[in-house]
Amino acid sequence: MPTRRFKGLAVLAVAAAVVAVIATSAYGGAKTNPIIIDGSTGTVVNIDPANEYDYDSFTVDLNIFQGLYGFPTNATLQPVLATGCTHSSDLKTWTCSLRHNVHFSNGDLMTSADVKYSFDRVQKIQGDQGIYTLLSYLKSTTTSGAYTVVFHLTNPDSIWPYILSTNAGYIVDHKTFPSNAILANTDTSHMIGTGPYVLTKFTAGAGGQAVFGLNSHYWGTKPANGGLIINYYSSSATMKLDLQNKTLDMAFQTFDPTEIAAMKNNTNLAVHTGNGVVIRYLVFNVKRAPFNKLGVRKAIAYLMPRQRIATDYHHTVSPLYSMVPKGLPGQTDAFKTLYGSSPNLTKAKAAMKAAGVKTPLAITLWYTPSHYGSFSANEYADIQRALNNSGLFKVTLKTAEWAQYSGALGKVYGGFQLGWFPDYPDADDYTVSFYQTGSFFSNGYSSTQMDSLIQKERASTGTTRYNYLKQIQTLGAKDVPTIPYWQGNMVAVSQKNVLGIGKTLDAAFYMRFWKLSK
Amino acid sequence: MRGTSLRTYLITRLALVIPMVFILLTLVFLLLRVAPGNPIQAALGGHAPPGLVHHIEHRLGFDKPLLTQYWDYLWNIMRGHFGSTTTDNRPISQIIEQNGAATLELTVFAMLVAIIVGVFVGLLAGRFRDTPLDVGGRLFGILMYATPPFFLGLLAQLVFGVWLGWLPVAGQASPLTEALLQTHTNIYFIDAIWDGNWGALWDVTQHLILPGMTLGLITAGVFIRLTRINVIRTLRDDYIEAARARGIAEHRVVFHHAFKNALVPVITIVGLNVATLLGGAVLTETTFNWPGIGHALVTYLENRDYAAVQGIIVIYALVVVAVSVLVDFVNAFVDPRIRY
Repeated sequence: MPTRRFKGLAVLAVAAAVVAVIATSAYGGAKTNPIIIDGSTGTVVNIDPANEYDYDSFTVDLNIFQGLYGFPTNATLQPVLATGCTHSSDLKTWTCSLRHNVHFSNGDLMTSADVKYSFDRVQKIQGDQGIYTLLSYLKSTTTSGAYTVVFHLTNPDSIWPYILSTNAGYIVDHKTFPSNAILANTDTSHMIGTGPYVLTKFTAGAGGQAVFGLNSHYWGTKPANGGLIINYYSSSATMKLDLQNKTLDMAFQTFDPTEIAAMKNNTNLAVHTGNGVVIRYLVFNVKRAPFNKLGVRKAIAYLMPRQRIATDYHHTVSPLYSMVPKGLPGQTDAFKTLYGSSPNLTKAKAAMKAAGVKTPLAITLWYTPSHYGSFSANEYADIQRALNNSGLFKVTLKTAEWAQYSGALGKVYGGFQLGWFPDYPDADDYTVSFYQTGSFFSNGYSSTQMDSLIQKERASTGTTRYNYLKQIQTLGAKDVPTIPYWQGNMVAVSQKNVLGIGKTLDAAFYMRFWKLSK
Repeated sequence: MRGTSLRTYLITRLALVIPMVFILLTLVFLLLRVAPGNPIQAALGGHAPPGLVHHIEHRLGFDKPLLTQYWDYLWNIMRGHFGSTTTDNRPISQIIEQNGAATLELTVFAMLVAIIVGVFVGLLAGRFRDTPLDVGGRLFGILMYATPPFFLGLLAQLVFGVWLGWLPVAGQASPLTEALLQTHTNIYFIDAIWDGNWGALWDVTQHLILPGMTLGLITAGVFIRLTRINVIRTLRDDYIEAARARGIAEHRVVFHHAFKNALVPVITIVGLNVATLLGGAVLTETTFNWPGIGHALVTYLENRDYAAVQGIIVIYALVVVAVSVLVDFVNAFVDPRIRY
């Protein structure tokens, strides 16, 4: 007869064995699985391309959908679902030939009917996020046979192929997407595109995830991994812990500079840095005193402490001397040419004297403390210090959370912080958006010379267009309605065994997950 | 007579729910409108042209007079139409269903921890009054009660997740488990059992431990003090003295006589602590990236998402009201000393 003690020990041994088996089965599978697990602090708004206009949703869409053009390998625009497009001499008609034998992830053949349907749909739905505004020049889309599409524009548009690369031009299966309604994010069975992955599961919000399987009908080179999971976090600190604990293979969006600096010292992790196209800039309402005086704006441009800010950001950002970030064709360092590469007090004093203002001049600058990351406070403390130390200004800093801030901008504030992520990686998107009369931030800037240059730029191609873009940047630096000060680098952190990240960090700002392996 | 007055009490208690919920709904509506900020601009990322903003404001009815908005809001809630969020176009019903289930999983586990730890420590402290055990128990109770959930959570993450590497620090399950698990109830613990997926069950349980213990221990602080006081008071009662005088063993006196009676007020407090627990869940969920309804509430509050915040708070309010009514009912039936 076994004793009670023996019985207890036997029960404990069996329980321990069960726990061990369960633990092995739970983690044994994960180690051999080639799926890439990525972390992100982003929020996915709409996956349906007809209403997607934010970077986090775009990162999801990039895996499922494709456009006629895109940036599949690097920051150079290339035909993707098209084999090429030609334009009429007035740049108002674009004819595109489609790639043959491209199938959607459900096996349906992609034809010109799907292309026309996709563009018509974006224009018809006019989604809340406003992506349809990118197609504002598109009058109509017609087809000519199964593999030719013609775009008829209202205005000459040399950058039309760039517009085709945005998600406003992503091609969807006309059999699965409703023509007049946005597909719900969780409706994964109808979320059908031609991209390398197929979305199999989506749960919204922090703590949720997007799960991608391989598209068995994919026409291009198969992904280097067996699938992808993007896990969403509300805090980069928690995401960092999961990366350190190897729960994540990598994390791409977004760590703050101190976290990146800390992870650079972690020998188990690899920090990858590439050219980025996110910029930060200071905007002036040029109709509101004292920023209505050109000399005041110029003096601030002379004193902008770009190097100091970059150091504060642990060099995860680089000084920026144009509204167009480095790495894009047509970029010129207009602010460096006009105001120098480092602060110049003598010239700032001269500018203030020419403006005829009494110094120190009291000014108020606004920034938003969390929307662009917690380091905005450091950024504006640097600017305040630099301006106050010059003796020319007495700066008061004020803050407002994004919900309040985004509704005020130039309508309420005289000088304020903003950031920009491009709709398409071209200098046009960094100039027209800010310098054209009636800009979105309501800063009152209007210049007939500038508007004329923009019109000419849109109506020209090649080197001529780039020359106009350089003139636009130079005029922008002279009029100073905005002062650019940094360009963010693209940063991803991964386990050491994740390969291929370095090759996807370029000015296109695409995380090409399909190129990653481990 | 008791039957009639009890019925009157219950009817009155139920009738009071209506003005209570109405006041809550009105407060939520007004506070969100008073807070500065344009929810549409915030949702669109600040680069939207004014025409687009006005178009959306009109579509969502934000340009209507405040009274009309208020009426629409009440009318929709009465019909159970919570609408969709403005920042990520999510049906509110989906938030309640998915995130609510995650919160339920966490709070039930936390309540179990709170009851087991709180009652056990409180009992020991009360039984061994003024001994080092009592002092330790009281100190532990006060510390737990006074510690903010996020601080305890961060400490737990650091010690058990980072330093010792024993437990996962975030989420409801590891990414792969979550991706592969079939969801039936959105309570992963139950879903894993439902499918007989023992690997997932192990993984989900591990993920529950740190957030559940954090939230549970903080709630346990109240239970420790309450159980201790009640045990001390009960141990002084005449019937306990009588039991001892009859020579009944001390452990039987404590567990079978004193402890049972000491638990009655604790049960009441357990019910009333549901509201506290839900409040604590907001901070705990945020710290542990737990995809609960509290976590969602914080995100939507930051984005001034009127529809989402209104919907979630209404659910919170209804849960708290329902539980407090339930506690009143149970008390009325169980404790004849209650006046009604």
